[in-house]
Amino acid sequence: MAVEYKDYYAVLGVPRDAGQDDIRRAYRKLAREYHPDLNQERDAEERFKEVGEAYEVLSDPDKRDRYDELGAQWRARERASGGGNFEEFFDRQDFGDDVRVEFGDGGFSEFFERLFGDGPPGRTSGPLRGLDREAVLEFSLEDALAGGRRRLSLEDGRSIEVNIPAGVREGQRIRLAGQGADGRDGGPAGDLYLRVRLGPHPTFRRRGEDLDLDLPVAPWEAALGATVPVPTLTGTAQVRVPAGSSSGRRLRLRGRGLPKQGGGHGDLHAIVRITIPKHPSAQERELFEKLGEVSEFDPRKSRA
Amino acid sequence: MSVRRPGSRNPVPADADDQPVELAVIARQAGVRVTLVRRYLEFGLFEPCSRASHPPLFEPSCASRLAKAERLRRDLGLNFPGAVLACELLDRIRELEEQTH
Repeated sequence: MAVEYKDYYAVLGVPRDAGQDDIRRAYRKLAREYHPDLNQERDAEERFKEVGEAYEVLSDPDKRDRYDELGAQWRARERASGGGNFEEFFDRQDFGDDVRVEFGDGGFSEFFERLFGDGPPGRTSGPLRGLDREAVLEFSLEDALAGGRRRLSLEDGRSIEVNIPAGVREGQRIRLAGQGADGRDGGPAGDLYLRVRLGPHPTFRRRGEDLDLDLPVAPWEAALGATVPVPTLTGTAQVRVPAGSSSGRRLRLRGRGLPKQGGGHGDLHAIVRITIPKHPSAQERELFEKLGEVSEFDPRKSRA
Repeated sequence: MSVRRPGSRNPVPADADDQPVELAVIARQAGVRVTLVRRYLEFGLFEPCSRASHPPLFEPSCASRLAKAERLRRDLGLNFPGAVLACELLDRIRELEEQTH
């Protein structure tokens, strides 16, 4: 793996001849800006570490001297060769140290390790639990109701399998103990919180824990009454459409909605939508005409 | 790719209905010494669930709040009241954000 040269001055946004006061001021400002407890942006933690590493080097006169010297050589070499592999560069230098390359989450960059040969300095003192993380997990309504195992990929490249309990609700938080950021100095890892989001559904519309669905009904079924199949989240239910139902009538299927906090389920509402054949056959047409002649029904009468 | 992280428990969700725990448990879960937790208690970072219980019991979520305050204190050079204030302001921001969403 090639080790990338890091421009610590650029990281802190200070000139190469900046004094210690300027460096400290720049560091404090950026540390507040990118502290992962204060900044929810994805790359905040990475930036925060980078800023801490830059400050560690530039605030220590010995380290800064060593870094400046190396940086000058690196740039000279870059000019001469039009870029290069820092790995090779390091291999040819004798830093006089027993170079320890041991780094990981919470540590400093490999660049730092190669240059100074020691681990993260005393900026953090003693063990401490890592940051809690939060991720949004989208479910279909069916999956939310049924639960089950779910594989998810985390930002740090890890992939974990999670048992999702049956009946998770929109906005619910599921805690995965120890799956957050690593702890410092051997401290415990933080937790990972999964926030449940229910995705849109092609058939059902969600209103809290209740569900709505459009139920197409033939005119004669609506007029005379009928028992028709209605899809639910778990299968199909038979629903009686009462005689004399108009479009918009809500037929309630109690308890066929989503789980409620504290137990029980919401309802499923099948909304009657009277549907007319677009191209009626000659006979259908004739019967509708006959109905029109015979009927005294005026659907607009109550409007006047 | 499936990487089991060392020392972590089987990733089974624990819902947020955990039982209250003693101060020593909070300290262990945050990875810090009990004396540090007591220091934060003096500045009111969190309170026991009930004043009546002996020993006092705390919500398990106090561990992550404690760790947050301590990270802020160490990383930004805050003192104890400053770290507690930062946590309270962060809570306030979170509440406001949840209201506006």
